[in-house]
Amino acid sequence: MQSGNVVISGMGVISACGKNIRETLDTFASGRRNISKVTLFETKLKYPVFEVKGLSGSDGESMRTLELVFTAVKQALEDSGLEDKLNDFRIGVCLGTTVASQLNDTDFYNEYKNTGNASLRSVERYLKGNLAEAVQDKIGASGLACTVVNACSSGTDAIGVGLSWLRADLCDIVICGGADELNRVPLAGFGSLGAMSDSLCKPFDKERSGLNLGEGAGVIVIEKEEICRKRGKKTELFIKGYGLAADAYHLTAPRPDGTGLEAALARAMDEAGIKPSQAVFVNAHGTATPDNDLVEGKVLSRVFGMGLKFLSTKGYTGHTLGAAGGIEAVFTAVGLREGWIPQSAGFRKADDEIGISPVTQKTAISGQYAISTSLAFGGNNSAIVIAKG
Amino acid sequence: MNIAGMGVVFNRGRGVQSLEKALKEGWVPPGDSTYSVPADTLKDKSVLKEMRRADDFSKMACLAAYDAFTDSGLGNGVKSSLGIILTTAFGPHVTTFRFLDDILNYGDDNVSPTTFSHSVHNAAASYIAFMLGARGPTLTVTQFVYSFHQALIIAQAWLLERRCEYILVGSVDQCGTVMEYICRQKLHLAEDGKIKPFAFSQTPCAVPGEGSAFFLVTEGKTEKHYCSVLAQAVGTPDMYLLDSDGMVGDERCYLKIIKGGIPVTSYTPIFGSMLTVTSFSCAAGALMLKNQQSYAVPVQDNPHGLNLCRMQGSAAIKNISCVRYGCKNDRLEIFLKQ
Amino acid sequence: METNKEQELAEIRKRLKELLVTNLNLEDIKPEQIKDDEILFGEGLGLDSLDAVEIVVLLQRNFNLDVKNKTEGKKIFYSVDTLARYILENRKK
Repeated sequence: MQSGNVVISGMGVISACGKNIRETLDTFASGRRNISKVTLFETKLKYPVFEVKGLSGSDGESMRTLELVFTAVKQALEDSGLEDKLNDFRIGVCLGTTVASQLNDTDFYNEYKNTGNASLRSVERYLKGNLAEAVQDKIGASGLACTVVNACSSGTDAIGVGLSWLRADLCDIVICGGADELNRVPLAGFGSLGAMSDSLCKPFDKERSGLNLGEGAGVIVIEKEEICRKRGKKTELFIKGYGLAADAYHLTAPRPDGTGLEAALARAMDEAGIKPSQAVFVNAHGTATPDNDLVEGKVLSRVFGMGLKFLSTKGYTGHTLGAAGGIEAVFTAVGLREGWIPQSAGFRKADDEIGISPVTQKTAISGQYAISTSLAFGGNNSAIVIAKG
Repeated sequence: MNIAGMGVVFNRGRGVQSLEKALKEGWVPPGDSTYSVPADTLKDKSVLKEMRRADDFSKMACLAAYDAFTDSGLGNGVKSSLGIILTTAFGPHVTTFRFLDDILNYGDDNVSPTTFSHSVHNAAASYIAFMLGARGPTLTVTQFVYSFHQALIIAQAWLLERRCEYILVGSVDQCGTVMEYICRQKLHLAEDGKIKPFAFSQTPCAVPGEGSAFFLVTEGKTEKHYCSVLAQAVGTPDMYLLDSDGMVGDERCYLKIIKGGIPVTSYTPIFGSMLTVTSFSCAAGALMLKNQQSYAVPVQDNPHGLNLCRMQGSAAIKNISCVRYGCKNDRLEIFLKQ
Repeated sequence: METNKEQELAEIRKRLKELLVTNLNLEDIKPEQIKDDEILFGEGLGLDSLDAVEIVVLLQRNFNLDVKNKTEGKKIFYSVDTLARYILENRKK
């Protein structure tokens, strides 16, 4: 296995917070929460959501998720200085998603059901929409490409796969993260599970009542430090560790004792060679469902102690499903770089059952390591350790 | 990386014995127009005892994974370091369409949460972890052309990183009625029900199939060792095992790899056309290496005069290269070695 | 009048048992084997959280009923009988 550091040389993000990192930081600083009703498709459901406004609009030939991910990839490649240098390296693409992997076009299916025939337009769109393959085609790369569909931890796990590829010397550089568009299927589905809130979500709050869905993309460029140095790109951010562990408990509910998340955190920190006390903050999964926040909060308290600074950024982005891990990796890295994290939007009242509360105002942080956690439908638990300097 | 156990669920049944029987029997016509998995194959109350809600996609994967685990003979002690990597091309689309039925028939506010929960791609892997009590890393990936290759590559990387010591790596894909319709529109379906893997046609014929194939892999050799497996080409093999099944389009590029009279075989006519057929090809190859047996090609049409493996019987085979060509003249191989 | 109500309740229980077996994929149990006072969660039928939300949909589709309040829900969903009585008292024809 290749030893040596893995750096983050570029980042890109788009969500309801903003179309890039600078806009996102403005939103964080202001505490603004860009909630709205669903405008992207017809639905009788009235849940508030976090849509990305002002996207240029696809031509109908490709999925909205592709538009989102191409936006973030473009930013990340520009940030990394790699846009016109891709041919010099072995490039891997690993991206997480949920919606883009599903053939779920209602119009196509309705037409087929009613007539036995249907236009294959949406099928063609779907076949061109495998996220990693589509990005690979777009940027002209020809190395490894893989789309991770691990539900809500897909983005984090895609970064984990990228890390594994680099350590196995299968690539020099990996473009990784996640993307998902707001879609009728998960909106209806999470609604039926009773997981959605009728109002702005309140992660970790005593009166939290469920999640708000969102959409977006978060992409990072990771590479071996020596490659980055040789090509003259300076960066101070690193991916130091990744952990993934299954609950093996239930299809929709997290394991109550949180031992799956604990195992993922332990592995990630072990790879990074750090103790829990060295984590200056945690960007938690924090969906604002009663179950997730209870389990996750208790684990954070148990592992890191009561003094931990942590937050959920889903109060700003909504739950972006497959994109969440990618978006939150960017937020975690940016938080370390900028030296501050925003208040955990939506939190007001402590829940004694959780025993630990997120930050309630913009908070200065200084230190080397931060962690992002993801807990997925189906019981996957993931954690990554990001370092500065 | 070594294969310690295998499990398959396909049109001809379940388990390594069913696989061997099918390879010996050769081609049989598809039941209707697809090589679908019979409903009875998915009935196993003891293995699926706490999975009453599971859909057929999850059941196929669970049975194949369970069989791979038990086939290895490794026992419960390995479960604490057991990872799962599941790959699929189209995911549980039958269940997704059932969910769309709910949306269309009842409205967005009156849909089944159980159906939704099973329409998520990683439900099957979650069930496998639950069924086996496997708490290691669990990953679901999706790819159209090289899905099984990607899964093997990740498995190799995980073992190298010591992320876990054992991995259940496999594929699952379904062919429901909507997918059959799409196949009828997009592919050339074989009128005689025969995939012709050596025709290497610009417009090859397909017969859609479905199923799941899983392997328990680990770094060392175990008592029930099948063969070693590497997700890359390694020199010239004793035999080429082709994935040509009419699913990916123009197959003329397969002619590039055939050189020097090296024996060639393919068992896709037994499994049916699937983007994940590679895992089944590897299962056949692993069996050949373990048993030192060759199996006659099930469809013998050979317009290019290849050195086809026509006989079933003892064969001294040291290594096999499983070859798949994509849509862009690109190629990936999986190298199996005794 | 009381006899009518009892008859209605019996019919609802019967229908409910059939719906529970079909919609929740309950194996190895026939509707007629489910007791009238069978406890739904924990013991009895041993249903879980996913079954609970599925029952909410079952009530919407078959009896035109919404259960919005979670605390209320716990009492209603205690047993076949409590669920049947709730349906009897609240269903919209």
